[in-house]
Parts: sequence; structure tokens; C-alpha cells
Amino acid sequence: MTMIFEPDFGTPASEKLEQVSLEIDGRSITVAADTSIMRAALEVGIDIPKLCSTDRLKAFGSCRLCIIQVDGRNGTPSSCTTPVAEGMKVATKSEKLDRIRKGVMELYLSDHPAECATGAECEVHAVAKKIGVATSRYTTPETHLDLAKDESNPYFTFDSTECIVCNRCVRACDEVQGTFALTIENRGFEARVSSSGTSFIDSECVSCGACVQACPTGALTEKTLLTIGPPTSSVITTCAYCGVGCSFKAEMRGDEVVRMVPLKAGGANEGHSCVKGRFAYGYATHSDRITKPMIRASINDPWKEVSWDEAITYASDGLKRIQSESGINAIGGITSSRCTNEEVFVVQKMVRAAFGNNNVDTCARVCHSPTGYGLGQTFGTSAGTQDFESVEHSDVIMLIGANPTSAHPVFASRMKQAIRKGAKLIVIDPRVIPLVRTPGVEAAHHLQLMPGTNVAVINALAHVIVTEGLIKRDFVEARCDAQSFKEWEEFISLPENSPESLEASSRVPATQIRAAAYLFANARNGSIYYGLGVTEHSQGSTMVMGIANLSMATGNIGRKGVGVNPLRGQNNVQGSCDMGSFPHELPGYRHISNPDTRKIFNDAWGVELQERPGMRIPNMFDAAIAGQYRGMYVQGEDIAQSDPNTSHVHAALRAMDMVIVQDLFLNETSKFAHVFLPGTSFLEKDGTFTNAERRINRVRPVMKSKTGKSEFEVTCDLATAMGYPMSYESGAQIMDEIAATTPTFSGVSFAKLDELGSIQWPCNEANPQGTPMMHIDHFVRGQGQFMKTPYVPTDEKATRKFPLLLTTGRVLSQYNVGAQTRRTKNNIWHSEDILDLHESDAQLRGIADGSWVKLASRVGETIMKARITDEVPAGVVYTTFHFPESGANVITTDFSDWATNCPEYKVTAVEISPSIQGPGEMIETHIGGDPQLDSIIRMANQIAANVPANNAPEIQVAHHIVQFWTPTMIGRLRNEVDHALLSPIVVRAIEITLMTNQYL
Amino acid sequence: MKFSPWSQDAALTLLATLRDENGPVLMALQLMQEEFGYVDQACVALIANYFNKSRAEVHGVLTFYHDLRTTPPTSHQISICAAEACQAVGARNLEREIKAKFNDEVQSAYCFGNCALGPAVMVDGKLIGRATVEKIEKALQ
Amino acid sequence: MRVFVPGDSAAISVGADEVATAIAQLDSTVEIIRNGSRGALWLETLVEVQTPSGRIAFGPVTPADVQSLFDADFLNGGAHPLSLGKTEEIEWLSSQERVTFARVGIIDPLSLEDYRAHGGLIGLRKALKLSHEVIINEVTESGLRGRGGAGFPAGIKWRTVAQSFGEQKYICCNADEGDSGTFADRMLIEGDPFTLIEGMTIAGIAVGATKGIVYIRSEYPYAIATLRKAIEIARTSDWLGSRVLGTTHAFDIEVRVGAGSYVCGEETAMLESIEGKRGVVRAKPPLPAVEGLFGQPTVINNVLTLSTVPMIMAEGATAYKSRGVGRSLGTQIFQLAGNIARGGIVERSFGISLNELVNTYGGGTLSGRPFRAVQIGGPLGAYFSSAQIETAMDYESLIAAGGMLGHGGVVVFDDTVDLAQQAKFAMEFCAIESCGKCTPCRIGSTRGAETIDLIIKGVRVDENKKLLLDLCEVMTDGSLCAMGGLTPLPVKSAMINFPTDFDGVRK
Repeated sequence: MTMIFEPDFGTPASEKLEQVSLEIDGRSITVAADTSIMRAALEVGIDIPKLCSTDRLKAFGSCRLCIIQVDGRNGTPSSCTTPVAEGMKVATKSEKLDRIRKGVMELYLSDHPAECATGAECEVHAVAKKIGVATSRYTTPETHLDLAKDESNPYFTFDSTECIVCNRCVRACDEVQGTFALTIENRGFEARVSSSGTSFIDSECVSCGACVQACPTGALTEKTLLTIGPPTSSVITTCAYCGVGCSFKAEMRGDEVVRMVPLKAGGANEGHSCVKGRFAYGYATHSDRITKPMIRASINDPWKEVSWDEAITYASDGLKRIQSESGINAIGGITSSRCTNEEVFVVQKMVRAAFGNNNVDTCARVCHSPTGYGLGQTFGTSAGTQDFESVEHSDVIMLIGANPTSAHPVFASRMKQAIRKGAKLIVIDPRVIPLVRTPGVEAAHHLQLMPGTNVAVINALAHVIVTEGLIKRDFVEARCDAQSFKEWEEFISLPENSPESLEASSRVPATQIRAAAYLFANARNGSIYYGLGVTEHSQGSTMVMGIANLSMATGNIGRKGVGVNPLRGQNNVQGSCDMGSFPHELPGYRHISNPDTRKIFNDAWGVELQERPGMRIPNMFDAAIAGQYRGMYVQGEDIAQSDPNTSHVHAALRAMDMVIVQDLFLNETSKFAHVFLPGTSFLEKDGTFTNAERRINRVRPVMKSKTGKSEFEVTCDLATAMGYPMSYESGAQIMDEIAATTPTFSGVSFAKLDELGSIQWPCNEANPQGTPMMHIDHFVRGQGQFMKTPYVPTDEKATRKFPLLLTTGRVLSQYNVGAQTRRTKNNIWHSEDILDLHESDAQLRGIADGSWVKLASRVGETIMKARITDEVPAGVVYTTFHFPESGANVITTDFSDWATNCPEYKVTAVEISPSIQGPGEMIETHIGGDPQLDSIIRMANQIAANVPANNAPEIQVAHHIVQFWTPTMIGRLRNEVDHALLSPIVVRAIEITLMTNQYL
Repeated sequence: MKFSPWSQDAALTLLATLRDENGPVLMALQLMQEEFGYVDQACVALIANYFNKSRAEVHGVLTFYHDLRTTPPTSHQISICAAEACQAVGARNLEREIKAKFNDEVQSAYCFGNCALGPAVMVDGKLIGRATVEKIEKALQ
Repeated sequence: MRVFVPGDSAAISVGADEVATAIAQLDSTVEIIRNGSRGALWLETLVEVQTPSGRIAFGPVTPADVQSLFDADFLNGGAHPLSLGKTEEIEWLSSQERVTFARVGIIDPLSLEDYRAHGGLIGLRKALKLSHEVIINEVTESGLRGRGGAGFPAGIKWRTVAQSFGEQKYICCNADEGDSGTFADRMLIEGDPFTLIEGMTIAGIAVGATKGIVYIRSEYPYAIATLRKAIEIARTSDWLGSRVLGTTHAFDIEVRVGAGSYVCGEETAMLESIEGKRGVVRAKPPLPAVEGLFGQPTVINNVLTLSTVPMIMAEGATAYKSRGVGRSLGTQIFQLAGNIARGGIVERSFGISLNELVNTYGGGTLSGRPFRAVQIGGPLGAYFSSAQIETAMDYESLIAAGGMLGHGGVVVFDDTVDLAQQAKFAMEFCAIESCGKCTPCRIGSTRGAETIDLIIKGVRVDENKKLLLDLCEVMTDGSLCAMGGLTPLPVKSAMINFPTDFDGVRK
């Protein structure tokens, strides 16, 4: 293996279309207008010496090494700052230029260490060598060679003695990251790079690594480069953290990662990175990794290391026994959004083909399932409409329930740059997220709504747009279903949807709503970006449809700068959904009830698939407590920590007879497991991840599997042991099967991915290069469908006993349940979950900043430290869920989205009180009664309340239930529930529709 | 010169007068120094937050301009022009004499625009032409 | 009875305030006008009395002289040893061609009435009736060149701004007169601020800018105060604001104060400083005329350039360009400074000889010792020796002689000067004032001072002289802006014109 080298053209590529011809060193060249002479020269292989320029940053012109001479012009301008001009004749070499370059280099060398810590990596020495200067003639000069190193950042050092004040780090922090944490302090000879006069760790630095990446010397250096030594090979792969899906070069020395370098050619990140992907990969080789399979008879027993065969046999025997005792549907599996498309595909195939049922679900259930539902209904496909680059063309950006600077930092940087260039930002969030006001960025409007009132706000916005005549009629007429629009228009115009009517619920002043609606409706290009603050609600799906309605009504679909863009959580949440992880859908979002689709798989797999949906994760838990669901395979997800209402989840897991966990580490879920199958880290995987922009990126193994097996191999072994033989030689072979069975992926292959770098699906005969933007001329479903979105307040309300609303989120340095980041030095930034609360709520309860508080909801209680802040309004408290010790999900309830059962993480009624003794045991409530029946009643009533129909809502309710519920659940609804507990619509639905045996 | 004691509340009131200015950071730092005689370290975060800049940006500006100081003045302020026109009439000698004679802070400045009547010295904001030790002594009283 | 006691800070620096107080104390009925300085700074404090036959001058007056002036009935032009006769007949003044400085010292700087009475606002009123194009043509036609040092034709700059698209165009007046030996900007602002305001207003109308900013150095507290007052007066008198002199044109001016940085006189560094940032030089392109202040098209002109515009508009391009020589048209405000007997402002057509300035006007050195060197054009200007005394003072001749006119400052040194020390100072000054962006200036200036120091100490003199010359080439051709690019000018000129000072032997 060799090192992958990405050339540096010195200045960014020109965006001009016009071409200009010129001569450089006697060679004719034609380039785009506005291209720098430096870049133009490099394109024909003429390498002009440079130190301060790099093609990720605007030309700066400070090092004065890249000077050139131009016929007919005075002086020696820098080639980085001088654009090409028609007919220009440029000389990049002459005696004079040589003398000046040597003179400049002597100046550099007079204040630079003779030996640099990074050796050949230091461009000063490299360029000096190139232009033929060995030493400086200046004797006894004043220097900066005695300055102290700043080692405060856990991942990189700042050694000012090697700094050449080229400003590349300062500019990268500004132009790439957009944080402005760096500056030059002082001036003249005393000018030095500074993180605002404090150490890096005390500065505003977010440790994204852009400065380290930009530094041409050893001044800013990854510590691993100094401890491990220079890399000897590199592999291009994809980050395994968030849904941005950044491409990296893993630079290796032997089998050890020296550093992860963001890839300029990476479609999602274009050379940028965040602290997690850039630096926090050490978990992959952490000593906590379990690399040998383990089994135990009961969850109270200690683990026993066994061979792979023994573990697989033990697991399959257990599962088979359950099926023989409790039926074929008594087991199932959960796929992981952390795993590759290929691994996920194989797991869902195992469940459907080897287990023989459709009890497969994925962790997307608890994050973006409403996106799939909502966008499927309105646009016809379950994915974001744009690529990330699109945001740079937006004039107005509406950001709803998302905190990109923490959760999608690399995309946030793009967004910030767009806003700095003039785009206006509307933030809809209960919290004052950083983008409301952060250096260089200020939101035009912050609609600070109460948690749980998203639909009220989106309806109010739409109401203004409709009633004030701001609709883009042309677009609607040309692209959308007329009947649905007419119905929606009538509905949304109702006075109950006016900002004034909804002000009391949302607490957003009507004037603000009106102003924001005007801003968005009048934008040339208006885009909507959203996160889990939209989906993780009882009306998550309604809100997604409300967003889709708004973008259609304002004509913001089908070109650059517009669109509906879910910011996906996990690295492969898009992919895991694409791969058929939901119980009602086969790969490519095709309903399991469709016989044509089933036939494709029946033929390919040689099985007869069940035609009815299987259980969703919460259904599985309910069924487990009810004793009907006894065994499950959990791929790379810590449901015991990440899923809501921990008491309920724990009770369900405890009730099962065979829990198989496949993961890197022992985790909260494995406490309830009987078989532990060690998984592989992204550094060992061979496959693909699909990011939030539907971009399929290659994940390439940079080291051998630490477990001796690939993860899909283990799944296949289990399937085989279950009696359905499965085996693949490679990830590529699995992708070939995906392509062969899934029309949207039919053009995808590893060979093509290697050729193109990445592909955005759909990729098929019609779009052989993939599809960066969707719905350009028509919607995937044909005409855009407007959906009525009645605002139904959540049942989770603040009460006298639980008067505050808890909402949850993430911080930059930690990731989700923290399994990865807690095993890195990222803990230096955030080592515990903190409860944020407003001063007035703190005063009322006598809570001091930094003190311990007890946090209680109707389902449990826990203790954490309080932080008094004005980032949350009075009445709202906020925490993260990165640490198992704090157990934030002990508090959250099992209420969920009416359509998809995505948990309502973002709204929990709580009370807080001072805690004297500090952290103690989390208190879980006892789970009694028949939770499954309770859930069925609640879910059915919720569907009835939300289904947007005037005529015959019962038919829609019945349709919805049939589409997503298992036959067992429908049976219990019909036969076991006291009708007095059900909404009349549900009762009618049962009477009219569900009575027919067709659904049983 | 008389300065107010450092007070964050007073500082915020002053910053409010610059609320609508385009590019306010340098003006804000100058305003702080005018009022308090120096730029207190707390001003960096205060100004950064007030005008939605990073602390680094404010720090960079603060350290660039030689007028701005980060410690309170403890004495009279004497600035002597050290540029060529004043050098031509003995400013270098005068500077040595002043430094030897007075315990006050003596800074070099580069031109008060009084180049025909040098050496030029500024004592607590008052310009002295054809400066001598005696004239400065008188101005300090 | 009107008595004029200059409020100019140079006059104040030698006791003008005390003189004014003393006069007021002795006769409270006297109306004391704090005019600008006539520019004969060697005569400050120059007290003038308005008499029926004209203004009679006395000077230099000290507070101690005031009693004797009253004793001599100076208010009626009585004879006194300090009497200089009629002001306009003082030859030092009467031989000058006051165009830009026509009103300075004559009027009350803050009296709009005075300003109008002396021809103020004629240019602006004329411009308000003309199209953008015609105004710009007139300025172009006049041959007015930037007075800040670069000498770039003002009209061409204006045209670029007029033709560039921008939501908010700006007129930036560079009043960061940091060159040692120059004080014309300061004196004009203190003595006739409305001229600058008028020039900026005309520029605004010409290019379609509604905002003007004067960036003025903190070292000029008196000028700042005067200008701020003048702007306030212009605002309250129907001039500045949304309706300039009752027309639909809008224009207003804001003063921004520097904070101790020479390089902020460089136009792009000035823009950064006005934006409240570090005063770091920008690379060009883009030109400020296209992308200047806050990214908008911006006219940047010096105080004197803008202050000359009203006259050009009032009297026409032809009247202006009839003065001067070759491509250096019009007048130049020379400033005689340093070790000079009769220092001050000399406004004359381009082409006057150095000799006439230094000896005829300047009267030789203040110390009375032989004149040895003169630095023309500020700290980045060349040092000339007495052998070059006949050099003509215009842009082209000075360049031909290895120097530059710069801002028109002429700093005289007597024979005690050591040019090696002056050369070292040039490098030190650059090291102190460099913005720190480009390498030749940031590191080179420090290395330059170190190397000259070695030469002075006699260490490997020939080797170090070679190194110094090499460094000078690197700085001249390699620097990003004129700060680093011109610092070698005083150094090399000192080495060439005063070689014996660099022979490494202590004198």
C-alpha cells in the first residue's frame, strides 16, 4: 500500500464559466476566468513555490514565495492573488525571482528550527530545499525559538517555534470551520498565532482539526504523528459517527492509525472534519474491545469466552427452541445504523429468510422513522431532497429542531459560511442553540416554541403564507396534486391555524411567526433543515408532512438551494432504512404486502416471505413483557441506554430467553444478554455507509478484523445455523445482491464507487451517475401530495406534579450513548450529562448552579448536576444522554409518534428538586399489568386523533393500522380491548374494516 | 487624566452606544480605554459577546494597536515623538533625559504632526512643541 | 475688535492657548477668533488683529509678550518689535500659491458663515446640478492626483467606483497622516474642516456613495475634535444628512479614530481598521474601488486630495491644471520640518526646487549648523544630500533622483546626523509598525536593523552590506505593500548618498 496524495492547487477553483487563455513559461493554457496564476500553472504541472496558500482557503498573499513576472506589468506580484487574464504572458522563473525567493526563504530559516519535529512534513524545509537554500546568512538574529509549546489540546500540539505566521490556521478556522477561535496576536515581528491569548483548551476552539490540516509546518501537529511516527500508507474510508458521512484518509503506519485526514475529494465534507471523526477514533482499538465470543446461561452468570462455533450454535439453539415453543414470530432482530449497508442487509435478510418473520426493526425507529413516513406520503420517497452543497445556494434557511454545530458539525460549517455570505436563518427551537447567535452568524428569527408544539408553529407559518397570498401558485399547479392542495388550503386557512390562535400553545408571538413566514415565502431559494427535534414527538410524522407542505406551497423543491433536508443522526441511518430494516418494508422502501416485491426476494432467496409487517422495537418490548417475544439479535445498538423509558426496556430484556448482542463493547444491553458476539469497528469493515444526502460512501478496511471474522460473516453463520445457509465472499458481493433486488440501487457496485468516489441514490439506468438532487421535474410519487396536519397537543403535558418539560439533545464532543466517544479523550470537554435550567425555575426550587438535582418523571428518576442558563426558557429543562450513569432515559416515557412509534424523547413532563447526597441509584418504576394492551389502546387512539381526514377517518385509521401493525396486535385490539377505552373512530374502524378476515 | 474605575455595568452601558455601528470592535476597545484608562481583561469576552464576535477576534485587535493598553495607568502619561523630524532636533537625547528624570510612563510615539516645532511631546493629552525637560516639568504640575 | 489667535495644535504646543487667555484677561471686549494656522509655524503664536486696513500680524508671541502688545496698542496696529505688518504682505506667505490651503488661517474653522463668505460650498452647489459623469470628468480633467503618496489620478479611481455595483458605496478619507515631517492634513482639518467635508460630499455625489468616513489618527486629538464639531454643524445646517443642501442627494460623514498604527495609513489596512479589525494589509485585487470597505465599492482619497476637489469644481479643471509641471499638475503642499529655521506649510506649484524650499523658505537649519541631509516623503522616503539640493520637487523628478514625493514632507538634518543610524531607524520603524502579514516586512525589517547594527559596529562590514542590499531587494520587490516595499528607500539612499557613514568605523 502507498500513500494517497491529494495535490494542493494553492487557491480554490474558479466558479466562472468563461475561459481565458494565457501563456505561462511559454506554455499555452486555457483555464476558467478568475483562476489564480498559481492554480493555472499547477494545472500544467508548473509548481510555483508557496507556503501561505492552500486550495481550501482564499488566496492571502503573505509568504511572497509564489511571486512571478508578467510581461508589461511592473513588479513581482504573488501568483496566488493575481488572476489570469486573456493573452497574459507569465514567467514563473527568472534570476530575479530566484534571488527574491531565496532571500525570503533565508528570512524564514532565520526564525525557524533547523530540525522540525515532523521532519519532512514541514513545508518550510521542503520548499527551502526545492529553491536551493540550505541556511540563512543572518547571524545572531532575534528569534521566537524559545517559545513554549501548548500541549493543552488532547489531540494536537501547538509549537509556536515552528510557526511561520502564514495565517493558514487562522484562515481555516474562519473560512472552513467558521469558529474564529484563532487570531494573530501582536504585529510586525511579534505577530504570532494565538488562540485568543489563552491555551487552546481554554479557547473557543472546537478541535475540528482544520487548523492542523492547514498548517504547513509542525506548529500544529497531531500528537499521534509525533508518538507513532510518519505514516507509510493510507486508505480512503468513511467516518462512522454522524449522518454527514465525511470521507477520510486513514493514514497508517503498519497496522496502526497515525491520523485521520479529511479528504478534499470527499463529497460530503470536501476536506473538512470535526473533533469526533478527525480525532476521536481511538475507541476502535480501545482495550475495552471484546474480541472473543462469549455466552452465559443466565444474565446473572459471568460471561464465558467460547469459540465462534460454540457461540453461534448456542445462539441458534436458543432461538430455534423459542420458535418451537412460542411460534415463528417469537424472535426477531434489530439492525444497526452504525453498521454498513451490507451488514444491515444481511441482518434483515437473516430475520426475514432464516427466522422466517418480519420482526426486524432498526434504531432509526427511535430517530428518523417519521421522516420516512412523512416524506414518503408527500414526496414519495423517504430521504432528503438535496446534497449538502445545496445550502450554499440558499437565501433563507429554516432550521427546525436541529443543532448542527453539535450534532452535524461539518455540515454546520457549510451552513455558517452560507449565512455569513448573506443567507438569512430562521431557527425554530425551544433552546437558544448556538446558531441563534454565534460569532459571524445571527438568526433573523428565533421562534422559541414550547417543546411539543412544532405542528402548531408550522401550521401557523403555512396559515400566513396561504392567507396572505404568498403561495407559489405556478409551482403548486404544475407539480402538486390539485385536490390535496385544495383540501389543505382550506384546512390551513381555518382560523384555528392562525398564529394568533396558536400563540397560546406554542408561546411564539404571532408577529414573529408572520415576519418569519414572509421572509421564508419571499426567499428566492428557501430551504428547510431539520433534526430529531422534529421527529421525536408524538406528532413527528405530522410535522414532517407540515414541512413538506410548506416547501411545496412556497415552490422550494427541485433546484439548488431549496428542499427538505433531514439531518440524519447515525452514520448509516439512511442506509439502514434503505436496506429494508423496517418491519413493513423490503429494501428500497417497498411494502412487504406488495406481492411483486416479495416475489423478487422470494425468487432471489428461495423462500416464502411473510406478507404482513412484523413488530417495531416498542412492540417487541411490549410483546416481550407479555411473554410472546422471547429472543432477539441486537446488532450494534445499546437499546437499554438509548431507548426511552428504561424501566420498560429493562423489564422487556429481562423477560427474554435469548438476547444476542453484537457489539464492540459490553454495554447496558449486554447486561441482559446471553450471547455476546464481538463486532468490528469501521476501521475493519468492508462495505458502504449512506449519509443524509443519500450519498453512498465506501468503507474500506484499514486493518485486519480484531475478531478474526467480518461482521456479516457472523450473521451469515447464525443464519446458516438456523437452517438457512447464507454466505458472501465480500461486501461487494452483498452490494451486487442489493443492486439486483432493489431498483434504486441497481446501478451501484463497489467498482463504480471506487471509480466515482461516491454515488447518491437513486442510481440506476435513468441516473447512472446517481442523483444529487431529487424531484427536479416531478416528485417520485408523481404529483406532490399535500397532507392535512391538525395540531394535536401531546398527552405528555406539564402537570402540577411534573410542571417542567424536559427535552434532550447532544453536545459536540460526545456521541449518542457515548459508547465511542466516552472511550476517547473527548471526555476532557464533556464528562457528564448536565441538566440545563432557567434561572427562574432554579430560584423557585432553591437550586444552585453546579449543584446536584433529582430529576423525576412519571416513569423514573435520576440525579445529575444542574447548570443555570438562559439557553432554555423558563419551564423547559434540557439534558444530554451520553452517559449511562445519568440515565436520562430513565425519565423519558414510552409515548411516541402516532404514525411510526418514534419515541417522544423531546417532551417529558418532569419535576426537579435539590439533591443533597449527590449521584445515587437511578430509580426505575415497576412495570406491571399488560403494557402491550395499554400501548395498543394508546397507539390506536393516537392514530385516530392524528389521521387527517374529514370523510371516513375510520377507513384511514384502519388502513394505517393494517399497514404497520402485526396481525397479533390487530387481533388484540379487536378482541381484547374494552371499546369504552377507544376513540369512536377506532371503534368504527374495528367494526367497519378490521372485522374482515383479510387482515388477520 | 481622570478615569472611572472598571465596572462591567458601566462598560455595557457604553457598549450600547455602539450597538448600531458597523465594525464596532476597535471603537469598543477605544471607548473602554477612554473611560477606564485601559482595557480590562474582562472586556475581551464582554465585547466579543456583545457584538457577536469571537474572543480571538477581539484579542487580535486588542494586541495589534499600540494605543490600547491592558493595565491601568499609574502615573502621568508622557509620549515623546521618536520619528525623524523630531530626531533631527534632539528627540533622542530628550527621551533619555525624560526617562532619567521622571518616574512617569514614557512611551515612544511616531509623529504628532508638529514636525516644524519639534521635539514634540504629549503630556496627558496636551501637546508640547519645542519640548524641553523644563516645559514637560511645568506641564506635569 | 477681532483678534486671531490660532487654535491649531502646533500653535497651541508653543503657547497659543495661554496667549489667547492672556489677551482675554487684559481686554474682555476683544473677540478672539481661534483660526487655523497660516502655516508659518516658525512665527507661532502668530497673533493677528483685524484693522480697517487689513489684518496685522504679530509673532511669535508668547504669553509674556501680551502685556507689551497691549502697551503698544497692538489692537490698532501699533508698533511693536513682534509686529510683522500686514499678514498678506509677509513674503514667506505672499510668495505661496494657496489653493488647497486658501482659507486655512484666514477663517474661523467652525464658522459656516465664514466658510461661505470665502467661497465655500460653491463647488458643491455646482456639483449638485451636474451629472455623475460630468463631475468625474471634471476631476479627471483637472489632473488631480492622490496626495497620499501614490499619486494615482483621483478621477480614474472615482470612475471605477461609480461603475461598480454596490448596495452601499463609501467615501473614505484617509486622514491617517503618519509620516514624520508631514502635518498638512492635520492643519487643514484644524484650519478649514468644511473644505474636506465639501470635497467628500462632492465625491459622494459623483460616485453614488451616501456614507463618508474619515479615518484619522489618534495622535491628532485636536483635529479629531474640530472635525467632529464641523460635521455636527454641517448636519444641523441642511448640508449633511438625507437631503444635501435641499436636494435629493443623501450624504453623511462619520469619524473613525486610529489606535496607533502607521500601516493603517496604507489604504487596505485602513479599511480593515475602519471595519474594527486588525490593521492588516489586504492583497489586491480586488481593488478597494470594486470591493472596499465592508466589501463595497469605496473611494479612498487623502485629506488633501478631497480638500482640493471643491476648488476644482468651483473654478474648473483648467484653472487647477494650469499650475504645475509635466504630469504633476496643480499645487503641492510642502511641509518643512525637522531641523529647520522657518518650518511650516509651503503650498507651491509642483516643480519648485529643494533648494528654494530648504533655504529660501526654510532659512537653513534651526541649529545654524551646516545642512547635511534631507528626507523627503516621510519615513519611507529617501535621504538626499546637500549635493542634490537643486532637485525639482515633483513626482517624476524625485523618482528619477531615487526618491519619492510621498506626502510632501521635507525633513532637514544638520551635520550631526549619522545616516547609518537613520537607516537603522528606518528598519526599526518598519519592524515596529509592520502589520506582520508578509514575510519580507515582518522578518526582514528586524533582520535589516540587526544587519545595519553589525555594520555600525564594524562586524564583517562588506559581507553585511551585501546582505543588506540583498535584503533591500527582497523587501522592495517581495513585500505586499508599500510599508515593506519602501523601507529600503531611506536605507539604500543613505548608503548611496552617504557612503562614509557605512564604512563601519565609528566617527
